[in-house]
Amino acid sequence: MPDSDLLKLTISEVAPLIQAREVSPVDLTEAALAEAERRQPTLNSFINIMREQALEQAEQAEEALSRGEYLGPLHGIPIGIKDNIATGGITTTVGTKVLRDNVPDEDAEVVRRCKAAGAIIIGKENLEEFAAGATSNNPHYGAVHNPWNVDHIPGGSSGGGGANVAAGVTFASLGTDLGGSVRLPGAFCGVVGLKQTFGRVSQRGLLVTSFNGDHIGPMTRSVRDSALVLQAIAGYDPLDPSTVPVPVDDYALIMERGISGLTMGIPSNYYYDHLDPEVEEAIRRAIAALEELGVETREVSVPSMQYAGALRFSSMADSVVTHEPYIEASREDYGPDTLYRTLAGQFVLGRDYSKAMKVQRIIKEEHARVMQDVDFLITPTTPLPAPRIDADTLDVEGGRQKVRGPGSGHVSRNTSPMNATGFPAITVPCGFSELGLPIGLQFIGRPWEEGNLFRIANAYEAVSPSRGVWPSLE
Amino acid sequence: MPISDETMKRIIAEYGGFELSDAELALVKPELENYLTELQNLRDLDLSDVMSARLLRPADGGQADA
Repeated sequence: MPDSDLLKLTISEVAPLIQAREVSPVDLTEAALAEAERRQPTLNSFINIMREQALEQAEQAEEALSRGEYLGPLHGIPIGIKDNIATGGITTTVGTKVLRDNVPDEDAEVVRRCKAAGAIIIGKENLEEFAAGATSNNPHYGAVHNPWNVDHIPGGSSGGGGANVAAGVTFASLGTDLGGSVRLPGAFCGVVGLKQTFGRVSQRGLLVTSFNGDHIGPMTRSVRDSALVLQAIAGYDPLDPSTVPVPVDDYALIMERGISGLTMGIPSNYYYDHLDPEVEEAIRRAIAALEELGVETREVSVPSMQYAGALRFSSMADSVVTHEPYIEASREDYGPDTLYRTLAGQFVLGRDYSKAMKVQRIIKEEHARVMQDVDFLITPTTPLPAPRIDADTLDVEGGRQKVRGPGSGHVSRNTSPMNATGFPAITVPCGFSELGLPIGLQFIGRPWEEGNLFRIANAYEAVSPSRGVWPSLE
Repeated sequence: MPISDETMKRIIAEYGGFELSDAELALVKPELENYLTELQNLRDLDLSDVMSARLLRPADGGQADA
């Protein structure tokens, strides 16, 4: 099979070929590295392509196979890691010049787990500076470009990962999601992006900018692959007190169950406001497709979302504390968007922070109540398709919205609430705009029920108009 | 309440640890003022009747959940 075809397979398709020794981890890694180097001038999706280390890992994976040791479906699979997740002995810049020489002593727990499962890390992926924004237009390492149209953003902050998975460079990428930073690149790049339940995956080794609501999650080419990666990285980490010792389900098994008779909740407020008409049409078609598959529909109401604007104040204050040690010493190394984002947090008082936490609690409880009556919620992942890289603002229903820098929360209005609740959410491609840009559909599940989320997302994926469509990048 | 440019610059210098030039302040001020308006909206938000199940309920005898 030619390398170009091999790189377009999913993990669940290529893994049996590796297990049967029909595809060599070294050959597959060589092909992925060649593709990464070929695409880098166009996509700028890596900060560091790790050729030497990747080939060394691939040789070890091949030797293990020759000894009859098969580690599972990630064995020999080339993946990418966002550059705010620690890699021992490898520079981890967090997308900023401030940390350009930061070399962690050890791997993040998720990296350790991926390596233990046999995955090959081919590079550290480009992102928004300090993972603080939704464009991946990095002032120091350059803008990441969307493979579907290189004049448009890939979403952020995990934009390098989204672009790589969509372009057939990596089979999966690990991103981080504090307000949608896995799901937004997932939606804009037409791939699957998962933010699992808060506490399901260790954050140890993630350089956080907020102490509340960050997650490490996978971007993949299929729902089944998302489940495979989560299966490898999920679980209690005694050294990360945010993880919870809830047993990890067998996701592949749960995905086999049918979806007929499940009930989907369609929020009657907030999540369907201010939508681009093309997004709304794609989502309504997806809902109709699910109804045809036997899913029942129920309208639900989440009135507490009227307070959703308050949720941002806690992370704004957190960012002041995070950046404090760096700003005084290295202010000149900051890009303006990140620097100015820290300003508003300085005006947040203790009582404001506490009130924002109360709002968060109320919203979380209301979603928990709503989820007692339905099996999952369905919403657009983003209110619009990917904006252009050079756009500062966009005209949307309800007024002009900023795309980047302080005040640019419109893009993430449907993703950030689940960072506050901690509930799991997944984005799946559900069609294209007239310009050929992907549109994402978000499923929200009950805490710890990622299996059911995969089950419904997998069933939808099989009938999605995005199925089998690739960007034409040349 | 509007904050004067000088006060805003002083607060940022004292708490943020860096000086803003007049040009920078002019650039960021509109967005900052939007945030301050939203912050004031949060302060004005009356949530006294919207209680979390985990918070104190004085009407129920002042019992907080364990």
